[in-house]
Amino acid sequence: MSDYVTTLTIYGGIAAVFAIVIFAVYNLLSTRKDIVSKLASQDGYDSEGQYVRDTLLTKPREIGLSIFVNDDAKSIGLRYIVTSILFFFIGGAFGLTMRLSLTSPNLTFLTSDEYNVLISQHAVLMIYMWAVGSALGFGYYLLPSHIKVFRDIRGTLSSAGYWLWLIGGFIVLLAQSSPRWYFYPPLSLQLNQNGGGLYDWLSVIGIETVLIGLMITSITILLIVIYDRSPEVKRENFSLFTWSIIFTAIMIIVSAPPLIAGFGMLFYDFFHPIFFTASSGSVLLFAILFWFWGHPVVYIAIIPYFGLIYEILPKFTGGKIFSYRSGVYGLGLLLILSEVVWGHHLFNSGLGFAWVLFFSTTSFLVVIPSAITVFNYIATLWSANKIRMTTPMLFVINGIVDFIIGGVVGVMQSSYAVNADVHGTYFVTGHFHFIFLGITTGVSFAAFYMLFPTISGGRTYNVRLARLHFYFTAIGSLIMSSSWIVGGAMGMPRATAGYFAFFLPYQLGSILGGFIVGIGQIFFLWNIAASWLKSPSVDNQNMLETPSPIAIPSGAGEGQ
Amino acid sequence: MNEERKGRLELYFIVAILVVLLGSAAANYAMIVANPNSVPSDTQPIPAGSYVVRVIATQWTWSFEYPNNTTSVGTFTVPVNTNITLVATSVAGAQGSAVIHDLLIPQMDVQIYAVPGQNNTVTFEPTHTGSYYFECVEYCGEFHYEMRGYMEVVSR
Repeated sequence: MSDYVTTLTIYGGIAAVFAIVIFAVYNLLSTRKDIVSKLASQDGYDSEGQYVRDTLLTKPREIGLSIFVNDDAKSIGLRYIVTSILFFFIGGAFGLTMRLSLTSPNLTFLTSDEYNVLISQHAVLMIYMWAVGSALGFGYYLLPSHIKVFRDIRGTLSSAGYWLWLIGGFIVLLAQSSPRWYFYPPLSLQLNQNGGGLYDWLSVIGIETVLIGLMITSITILLIVIYDRSPEVKRENFSLFTWSIIFTAIMIIVSAPPLIAGFGMLFYDFFHPIFFTASSGSVLLFAILFWFWGHPVVYIAIIPYFGLIYEILPKFTGGKIFSYRSGVYGLGLLLILSEVVWGHHLFNSGLGFAWVLFFSTTSFLVVIPSAITVFNYIATLWSANKIRMTTPMLFVINGIVDFIIGGVVGVMQSSYAVNADVHGTYFVTGHFHFIFLGITTGVSFAAFYMLFPTISGGRTYNVRLARLHFYFTAIGSLIMSSSWIVGGAMGMPRATAGYFAFFLPYQLGSILGGFIVGIGQIFFLWNIAASWLKSPSVDNQNMLETPSPIAIPSGAGEGQ
Repeated sequence: MNEERKGRLELYFIVAILVVLLGSAAANYAMIVANPNSVPSDTQPIPAGSYVVRVIATQWTWSFEYPNNTTSVGTFTVPVNTNITLVATSVAGAQGSAVIHDLLIPQMDVQIYAVPGQNNTVTFEPTHTGSYYFECVEYCGEFHYEMRGYMEVVSR
């Protein structure tokens, strides 16, 4: 019991300090609010928030402290982008620390408990805070321009979603728990070092907060698209990025509620077991609820970037996307099929024969829309007259190549026989790091570089440093993920602080790759810092805010 | 490239992808139907004449019970060219509680979860004598990485 008293004291103290800081900031802002309020009343506005949003509507925004105060869509987008990059560096540092601790088959400078905390946090931060956060950021930033919103009235709701997401992320970071990102009971219910860690209940609250934030944000995005877009933007003229964000929002709204309920039951089980361990039902019930969200979330982290690739490619090939129709149907089919493959995470868990038959077949089918999408990219490049190999384009092409490699080793695991050999090994780690580093991270950086003149208020990045950033990231991730795939095919287990000595070469390969990626990110920070110190020299326009021209499918638009 | 040729090219690609994927899915389907005992299950009966090894996982050891009621810890021995059935479960050990584990023997292509309250069974047949490594691949707490060892396949 005294443990809980100590916990309450510590977190109560943190909350008190937090409250004082918040009050100071509030005091500062209320002065500023008075000024805005005066300006607003001069222009005949009742609400100063609405005045600010109308003034800023679809105008380019730059990064500054004001983005955390103003609730217009673009400011919220920039908030997400800036915060998610911060979490990318925190999660990346955790990843590198784990790599460094694996230089020897036995424990080195990390205890196994510290290793388990790092692996849990690396996963949670990279998925929820980096991949999904940066996707929502680009969505909020680019959507108002792509669908030409005529009003911006949902700032309060969007802002609430953002702050819940951010606070949830920090709670997870503070909780220092070690249940991996999937919180399987009974392990996650062990509130000690053996299992989930002393403050595991706190990280459940954190993830719950993140999920509710994501739900609010997704619903708001759909409301903006449905009610706030300009009447001149018809459904068949939506940019492919708009479609991808719509599909992402739908996926979050469909998949998150079961897990929100599941985490609620798990939280109750901490104090008074009813649902997962005390019942005569299997402990796998939670695993089923988890993967119903856990698998779609990896598509949530991919589909928006597929949309961004569709926007970036035509900018540097000087043409149109090969086929708009197959772009939309590919992404839409991906949305539907990716909701029915989650069972493949539990092939060997004893759920049986029929389960494996169904989910291995659907796992083969989910590749069809991905293949259509990749074909569309390659055909766009193939039919281009001239391809300009700018830094964003390099990131995008590398992303497509990495997605093909990661996708092929991914679809191999749909086969039950292959899956039985590689499930739970580094093969899986290699598979999704190819995709997350190639598509999610690479395309995020591509879009960030393209937005840079706007969000920095007319500055340009150093092309040479950006190239170095690209080459280090691409080569490092290739070495790292390939080592994992080869080691994993031999059965090198994931999430272990130590390993059989004969796996050493594969671990060393991935450590080398990991550090090359890490060095690449230093070039990125250096580039941003150095560019920010220079004075603005160019126009603050960017190419991403104009949707790429689309080929209207014949027959569309009739009957409107 | 005109619209008609583009559409045709795309159609050929989709048909090719469908052929490859549906072919793979069918092969996989046939493989599972032909070897139902290779899929771990809580409910399927143990095949007659099979050499049954009970696998008991705790935090953080593997122990094995043989048909002649002897036991071993951390390593186990099975006869070659015999139908082996593993029956896996998880119990609370001396220092922990019953959590989910997963036994992987990569060279045998065998993987089976040890779930508290379930008796999962999986069947395989080693065809060569030798020493094969196994490990726990479902994260099971602080010393998860120590749950590894060797399976000895000996001649009958």
